[in-house]
Amino acid sequence: MTSKTRIPIKLQINGHRHELEVEPRVTLLDALRDHLGLTGTKKGCDQGQCGACTVHIDGQRVLACLTLAAQAEGRAIRSIEGLADGDGTLHAVQAAFLEQDAFQCGYCTPGQIMSAVACIREGHAGSDDEIREYMAGNLCRCGAYPHIVAAVRQAALEIASSTETAS
Amino acid sequence: MTVHDVRSRHGDSKRGDASDGAILAEAVGGRLSRIDGPAKITGAAKYAVEQQLEGLSHAVLVESTIAAGKVRSIDTAAAESAPGVLLVLMPDNALRLNTATDWLGTPPPDIPYCPLARDITFSGQHVAAVVAESFEQAVAAAALVKVAYHETPAIVDLDDPKAGDGIPIDTMTKEWGDAQAAFAAAPVRICAAYNTPREYQAPMEPHGLIAHWQGDQLTVWEPSQWLDGMARTYAEWFGVPFENVRLVSPFIGGGFGSKAFAYGYGAVAAMAAKMLGRPVKLAVTRPQTFTAYGGRAATRQTVALGADAEGRIQSIVHRGVNETSVDGMWVEPLGSVTSIMYATPNFSSRQNVVRVNTVVPGALRAPGENPSAFGVECAIDELAYEVGIDPLEIRLRNYAEQDPEANKPWSTRRLREAFAAGAEAFGWSKRAPEPRSMRDGNQLIGWGVAAGTYPVRRAYGEAMVRILADGSVEVESSSIDMGQGTYTILAQTAAEVVGVAAEKVVVKLGDSRYARAGVTGGSRLAGVMTGAVHKAATAALDELVGLAISDPNSPFHALQANTLVVANGRIASPRGDGPEVSIAELLGSVGRSQIEAMGDTMPANSTADDRYKNYTTIATALSHTEGDYSRHSWCAHFIEVRVDEDFGTVRVSRVVSALDSGRLYNPKLAESQWKGGIIMGIGQALLEEGIVDRRHGRIVNNNLADYLIATNADIPDIEVISVGIPDPHSSALGGKGVGELGIVGVAPAIANAVFHATGKRVRDLPITLEKLI
Repeated sequence: MTSKTRIPIKLQINGHRHELEVEPRVTLLDALRDHLGLTGTKKGCDQGQCGACTVHIDGQRVLACLTLAAQAEGRAIRSIEGLADGDGTLHAVQAAFLEQDAFQCGYCTPGQIMSAVACIREGHAGSDDEIREYMAGNLCRCGAYPHIVAAVRQAALEIASSTETAS
Repeated sequence: MTVHDVRSRHGDSKRGDASDGAILAEAVGGRLSRIDGPAKITGAAKYAVEQQLEGLSHAVLVESTIAAGKVRSIDTAAAESAPGVLLVLMPDNALRLNTATDWLGTPPPDIPYCPLARDITFSGQHVAAVVAESFEQAVAAAALVKVAYHETPAIVDLDDPKAGDGIPIDTMTKEWGDAQAAFAAAPVRICAAYNTPREYQAPMEPHGLIAHWQGDQLTVWEPSQWLDGMARTYAEWFGVPFENVRLVSPFIGGGFGSKAFAYGYGAVAAMAAKMLGRPVKLAVTRPQTFTAYGGRAATRQTVALGADAEGRIQSIVHRGVNETSVDGMWVEPLGSVTSIMYATPNFSSRQNVVRVNTVVPGALRAPGENPSAFGVECAIDELAYEVGIDPLEIRLRNYAEQDPEANKPWSTRRLREAFAAGAEAFGWSKRAPEPRSMRDGNQLIGWGVAAGTYPVRRAYGEAMVRILADGSVEVESSSIDMGQGTYTILAQTAAEVVGVAAEKVVVKLGDSRYARAGVTGGSRLAGVMTGAVHKAATAALDELVGLAISDPNSPFHALQANTLVVANGRIASPRGDGPEVSIAELLGSVGRSQIEAMGDTMPANSTADDRYKNYTTIATALSHTEGDYSRHSWCAHFIEVRVDEDFGTVRVSRVVSALDSGRLYNPKLAESQWKGGIIMGIGQALLEEGIVDRRHGRIVNNNLADYLIATNADIPDIEVISVGIPDPHSSALGGKGVGELGIVGVAPAIANAVFHATGKRVRDLPITLEKLI
């Protein structure tokens, strides 16, 4: 209980290296939000139930509230702030969310978008039913689900066609 | 808000998906994508507790573990000596606060207010709080606070034998004709009881705040549906002038009725900040959101319908009960839809409230109308089967041509059109009437219909509109956007009035320093604020045109025109002669840095006190039946369910809803809100239920894994159809309410569909599998 001890941690976030000193019990979510000011990743439940804190670690979607910051050391972390291109051009999933109105209050949205990017990359956006299933870990109380499905479907098609064009 | 500089290579969001073609996306009524969208999809939108402040400390609440009794002692020794701890707050060392005026404007009793309890009336009540340097230290130390209780028996819920019949609420009584006699004499009679459980708002952003005192000035960053109302509460608690409190809430992660008031934890954080002389952040944990404020009260209704052999209703006898807390009063108006949906010559509705050991219940999307519709819209379905006619036909047969309670014509009621459009799109005519007559393999298919309604709640508003030197337009209001689209529709309104592109409008919301605003609740904000912005923008435009005509330095001065037109940010003569200059050029030539106009829809003779009351209480709100008309929005839901014959699992497979919200200011965003309401209704029908541990009076499923809300996998495609027409009696621009309407009637439509599928009538929500097998 008397954990005064802080440990140095180096985190690679959105291509940038961050050094911080935190207690070992600090979660990746709190490290991002409270220690690094990266508040785009949201805290909806802090117990792994809502998906609002979804980020990518080494390309895989994980819940930042169930990950200690120390566990992410030496791995590539991507949060919503790092999804658009450096020049501000939106990722296909972000653009589709805007166009399809796939959010209202916007609080679950960063987690939905990070999940959607991974869902498409995993090959789980083949049908509306598949999208619904593989996006079911991200709760949305405003009830944007049908528009989220439409946005993921649209982005998946765009990503597939741009990959084809490129190859 | 700041409109962020983001570019899209995937379509032009400015135009939206303007499938209606006729209306430019940017105009009022156009499908403009939400202008706060780029901030939300890039993570740039800063919600209230995300502000980074120097010297921020962290507070964590300690809650009661009993539902009734007294705190005997609190042992804080271990917590106080834990690392990083700055303060352990208890009733003994709490600052003395004043009791504040309630939201109705009732003057408070002259007794002190303490947000930390010695007398326990529900499980989860705040009893202490720990403030520490870091969040982790505060969490750890809060676990070390040892509270000893003297426990007494609790009344855990409405089913508790100690609960009794409760207190009659006379203001809820509505009666005409002789309902009891007419029911007794009716050839066809049905009578049944309908129950709804405790339900929770569960917005994705948990509640919380950052409180920061500078001298006797308090700044509170807190998600809020009512900045001015909450600022008044904080000011009165701490005995400082209203002007000394600033509430900031630029983005709100969902509210659904739960974020309109300052609650006890807010007083705790502001008190700690004052005592420590540094900012304090208190983030309510997800489990604490189930008891830090109230969800929808559990309700019980009995609905008796007496009809003739053709199903024409002769009498409605309705009795309702909702739970409230031991020392607070919440009335969920259970007769609100019962009394207006169908024409009946005889009617009686009465309601009691029952005190139980719970946090005082609160508003959740369509409080009153939601459970009320569950009762009457299931009951009329039962009557349809009793008489042997189609559930849609019985609704048309009993159509209320005017408000049967107020005896006034409807301002607009496009419910008949909603039934027709919904039935057509759904394919209702192909429905086989008998229960259990439609199936697909082992899935029983059921089709259900129900109607919904919500009153048009009206209020006065104000807004500041500025035309700036660069030709852009600024709108300021202390109203808020929690996802309804306020930023966007106010930009559309100002753009259309002034004559500039919507992207030239910057809308600033969510700061109590801006022009004042009443509560964002009861689906009233869009109608109130579009009216206020329209008025302010019109005044600003008039001044701009006046300057252009009369200022000696204006390029139009020599023209001696009576008026000028502004379009696309350029000013010209309507005749096409003379010069054409941009707004920026005109302001430059007449030497003005800006034009500023406050729009205010309050009556002209209003005093400063009237205005203060208008924006900080609901005392001045206008009744929906005031004047010559009765004003409501309306909807009809057509829903298909599939019930597994062996397991009793229910899936909603198809929804078509037709809705009358009057004129839509932005159909793209209104459709999203309607669908959101429908989806919350699906969760209410099939999943949502606060489960009370009967031994300890505790909500055991106080988290998002056990309190089930609908997930993406639970929701099919949903079709919504707008059947509204502009309603000039409801708002300045012709809109009626949107946000609450969609949920009303969904649960009964699903219950009716489940009956059609299975032949089983489930009258208590949620409809879970054990009730079907």
